[in-house]
Amino acid sequence: MSRAAVRRRTLFKRISSFWQLYKASKLGVFGLAVMVAFGLIAALAPFLTPYDPGDFVGKPLESPSLKHPLGTDQMGRDLLSRLIYGTRISLAVGLSASAMAVLIGAVIGLVSGYFGGIVDMVLMRITDVFIQLPTLPLMLIFVAILGKGIFNIILVIAILGWTPTARMVRSQTLSLKERPFVEAARAIGASDLHILARHIAPNVVPLIFANAAISVVNAVLSESFLSFLGFGDPRVPSWGMLLYYARLAGATVNGYWWFIIPPGVAIMLLALGFACINYSLDQILNPRLRRR
Amino acid sequence: MGMREYILKRVASALVTFALIIVLNFFIFRIMPGDPARAVVGDVRMRPEMREILIRKFGLDKPLWVQFLYYLKNLAKGDLGYSFQYPGTPVTEIILGRRLMNTFLLMGGSIAISLLIGMGLGVVAAWKRGSKLDVAVLTFSLVTYSIPTFWMGLLIILFLGFYADLIPLGGTVTPGAEYANWFQYAADYFHHMIGPLITLVLSFIGYYFMIMRNTLLDVFTEDYMLTARAKGLKTRTVLFRHAMRNAMLPMISVIALEVVYLFSGATATETVFSWHGLGLLIYESVLRADLPVLQGLFLFIALSVLVANLLADITYALVDPRIRYG
Repeated sequence: MSRAAVRRRTLFKRISSFWQLYKASKLGVFGLAVMVAFGLIAALAPFLTPYDPGDFVGKPLESPSLKHPLGTDQMGRDLLSRLIYGTRISLAVGLSASAMAVLIGAVIGLVSGYFGGIVDMVLMRITDVFIQLPTLPLMLIFVAILGKGIFNIILVIAILGWTPTARMVRSQTLSLKERPFVEAARAIGASDLHILARHIAPNVVPLIFANAAISVVNAVLSESFLSFLGFGDPRVPSWGMLLYYARLAGATVNGYWWFIIPPGVAIMLLALGFACINYSLDQILNPRLRRR
Repeated sequence: MGMREYILKRVASALVTFALIIVLNFFIFRIMPGDPARAVVGDVRMRPEMREILIRKFGLDKPLWVQFLYYLKNLAKGDLGYSFQYPGTPVTEIILGRRLMNTFLLMGGSIAISLLIGMGLGVVAAWKRGSKLDVAVLTFSLVTYSIPTFWMGLLIILFLGFYADLIPLGGTVTPGAEYANWFQYAADYFHHMIGPLITLVLSFIGYYFMIMRNTLLDVFTEDYMLTARAKGLKTRTVLFRHAMRNAMLPMISVIALEVVYLFSGATATETVFSWHGLGLLIYESVLRADLPVLQGLFLFIALSVLVANLLADITYALVDPRIRYG
């Protein structure tokens, strides 16, 4: 067997033994199902929607009927169609913002933990300040500085969301770099970059995934809040943006329940799905929890 | 190293962070595209004479590093500039006024209530791990964690306010109301506080519950717990004398950090309920591009984080004799 084949086989074994552990967790399976379901809805949106989400197809603020199962908004647009298309935006923003946050956090954590010294000190001081500042007010302040728009929302979530990953990756790196296999690699003359990329990073990846799941929850919730306040882009209406329009229409004080409840339930379900995934990944990957 | 040295060292490190915050607060508000002077005088609502005064006061026609010195000088005098949305009002007056009081009362009340409920449930759930109650509260925590706070607020307004007509639809007091005495005013005020309070309590409980439960579960795996039980001590003695006392230590730092929210407010809840606190002030200032107020708020919040942390660490050192000073 070639070396590549051996590596593939061990990887496959690892994944299948991980799946054995994972599928035992009901919450984990539920979370995965939610994630897949929303993924399918987002992908198949054009086939699922009765109307075009931007078309004025009915009277303004109609309550739910057979023609419009979730009613219409103040411009007579079909809310079910807008909800289904909103899945794409909420999912895409949540995933990309958290991917960015986790990536920044992983790089900072690796560099800080591996090189130590003054680099570590400066990076960790900055992390300390960022990790403790209350997130929502800070996000708003950054939106004021950077300006509105969906890309700036992603950026703001990433800028304020990398700290937990950085901390966790740093502490893992600190312990990994003292292990014999790293010492061996260094003894045969491997460069820092090689050691980081081939020996340390692969061992931090599981941890990064567990962090990514909770980071998606935060990204989805933050995005919905910022869009709800009207800092999103009207051309790409996410679920949060639907609630922004609901607020403009005075939905709470006029009792337009169909305008308020469905988008919130969608946000909650998506966040809950990823929270469940995070919970079971944590149970499997966090050695501290296993001994309980 | 002794306790005194530890505290001195901790204070010294806090001073370094303080300097970092002061510098960050200046530069974050200068990184935006375009004219840096826009941050202080670029607003159209400003009268020309006022603009002249501000340019001189903040040295806006001078290079950036000179502006930084001006900023430090004004800061030392406690001068954070003037608001755009309330022209001519000093930023300090806006932040350290009625709004701070409103936020303080709302946040203080909801943190206290949810701490009591959350910690109580946490103890019971940890002790009866896997019981129906444990699973129920865990599920509740996971669900409330996934609910956007602002949407919970919307639901509470819709159901308790619109359909049940139990609470006002927003605001801190009824607009234009006349009060015969102080008690009527207080009653109206607290009536308006019910909605935001319920929203916050619902969203906080899960967090405190999880921390309390998980800390206790960690404590249960310690050897001294086995010893205590092996000695034949009563369940209640083991739980309260051995487990709770040790579990309270991490809770101290958690609670100390909650102090920050007394000053930063709950942006989402305050916005939805139009509760006139600091959280709503942030939102309004962002909408009206009132950068001086935002800069002041950033400084105010960052400093409260700093002080809360310092207090948490010092309390921890005083309470826990095992702490390694270092």
